[in-house]
Amino acid sequence: MNTRLRQAPRSRAAATLLLGVLALGTLYPLFWLFLNSFKLNDELFEQSWKFPEAWQWGNYPKAWQYGLGHFMANSVLVTTVSVVVIVLLSALAAYVLTTQRFRGRGVLHAVILGGLIVPPEVSLFPLFKIMKTLGVLDTYFAMILPDVAYGLPFTVLLLRAYMMVIPLEMAEAARIDGAGLLRCFWSVYLPLCRPALAAAALVQGMRVWNEFVFALTFVGRDALRPLTVGLTTFGDSLQTDWPVLLAGLVISTLPVLATFLAMQRQFMGGLTAGALK
Amino acid sequence: MARILNRLEPYVALSPVLALLAIFLYLPLVFDVIYSVHDWSSLSPTWRYVGLGNFRLLWNDPIFWHGLRGNFLYAAVSLLCQVAGALVLAAILESGVVGRRLSGFFRVAFFIPSILPITVIGLLWQILYQPDGGLIDQVLQAVGLGGFAHAWLGEEATALPSIVAVSQWQWTGYLTVLFIVGIRAIPSEIYEAAAIDGAGALRSFWHVTVPGVQETTILMALITIFGAMKVFDIVWVMTAGGPNNASHVMGSYMYQLAFRDDRVGYAGAVAMAMFVLSAIAGGLQIWHARRSHS
Repeated sequence: MNTRLRQAPRSRAAATLLLGVLALGTLYPLFWLFLNSFKLNDELFEQSWKFPEAWQWGNYPKAWQYGLGHFMANSVLVTTVSVVVIVLLSALAAYVLTTQRFRGRGVLHAVILGGLIVPPEVSLFPLFKIMKTLGVLDTYFAMILPDVAYGLPFTVLLLRAYMMVIPLEMAEAARIDGAGLLRCFWSVYLPLCRPALAAAALVQGMRVWNEFVFALTFVGRDALRPLTVGLTTFGDSLQTDWPVLLAGLVISTLPVLATFLAMQRQFMGGLTAGALK
Repeated sequence: MARILNRLEPYVALSPVLALLAIFLYLPLVFDVIYSVHDWSSLSPTWRYVGLGNFRLLWNDPIFWHGLRGNFLYAAVSLLCQVAGALVLAAILESGVVGRRLSGFFRVAFFIPSILPITVIGLLWQILYQPDGGLIDQVLQAVGLGGFAHAWLGEEATALPSIVAVSQWQWTGYLTVLFIVGIRAIPSEIYEAAAIDGAGALRSFWHVTVPGVQETTILMALITIFGAMKVFDIVWVMTAGGPNNASHVMGSYMYQLAFRDDRVGYAGAVAMAMFVLSAIAGGLQIWHARRSHS
């Protein structure tokens, strides 16, 4: 590391200053959010960078009462189901593509990877029609099904990259012992892939938790809304009480932030293994 | 019999993934094509085939061109900040100029905005951009630059640039982390050799880091362009394309046409334009990744 560059103390100071200013600029809006969620509405309209005159802890229970708990429960449900299904289906597909030889493998692999370049934004109206035909509009499935489908290509890519490193003999040995394809997948490959599965689950969990467009378009009932869309209705009804709205934003940020800070290594590892936004 | 079953196993195992992709990724694209050559709204039960009529309409639609310009602005600024800027940031973080701990802290700090829910980002910045009660105008006023205060999201000239700025805040740290992975793959002997040859920090950045991460840079540039062509959610949350259509990108315009104006056929044509442009960037990305693997 140190051999890479021998800096003069001055350039060291300059670099530290630059990084410090950028980090401050990046984090300050979040700090501002936190600070102002403890204020009275009037305080916000003056110099909003000041500390609150009296910390209004009451903003938080008030925000919660707008139904945040309910939105959050919906987010947990949709995220959990989607992530489990994405990871299992992708792992199975990656396993088959990595270990089995069969006619059409190349084509099917290309069909799956091709999904990487299909942006859901392009397909919202057709998807709306498909959901309607399937009779799942305004149900949890209207979020779970597309959340799952659009998470598959990336996850297959990620898990396949990991499985390629596992020696093929592992699969062959298990097959010779009489284990079927599913058995071999379940009891040999899945346990070996645990770190990759965890990384994939984290990346997809974040993605689904933050998903906004499907929930906005395919679900109209407040009772089913996840946090991301729930917050917008919450924002509409709180146009006049910003600190409470800000408290709601803090509450919704905490789960993702805590998860990320606790597992940043696995999370960043999962992202960089496949590199896609 | 058992052998036939064995042969079918791989297909059966792949079928759930293939079915989901067929129904929710590929079928909608087919529908987009069909919609785009029809004049159709979800209220009227009749479809009228109009051939390329919707595309002719598109060609003469100033809002569409304005939106497309928005996508290009998005792409250009993002290439500057999220690719060039992130590369420089990553190089500084990896150069050892700040200690390992501190560099780890900066990396996490820059990354954090990319994990936040889009609605949180949208609502937070809506408030920061407010003409009264918003931090930005308050600061401008406090330092005597009140003349530069704007209703940032409410004025036609500033709405889209303000949104683009938020996206840079959100994503630059994310790409920085991806670049860090690329830089770490460069063998440290090359840096050592450059240092022995008397190369300073700038020279070794230019002659070792930049060529060393060339593959990553191309990939990041393509990902960024892909993202800029399909961008939708941040625009919809912050302005929904307003005021007076000024901050539209293709995605928000398409959404408005399909779900607000009920001009489904025409929205299909916009969707096709969006798909073609993003698929070019995405396709190059896959082609490039495969080529550099083999």
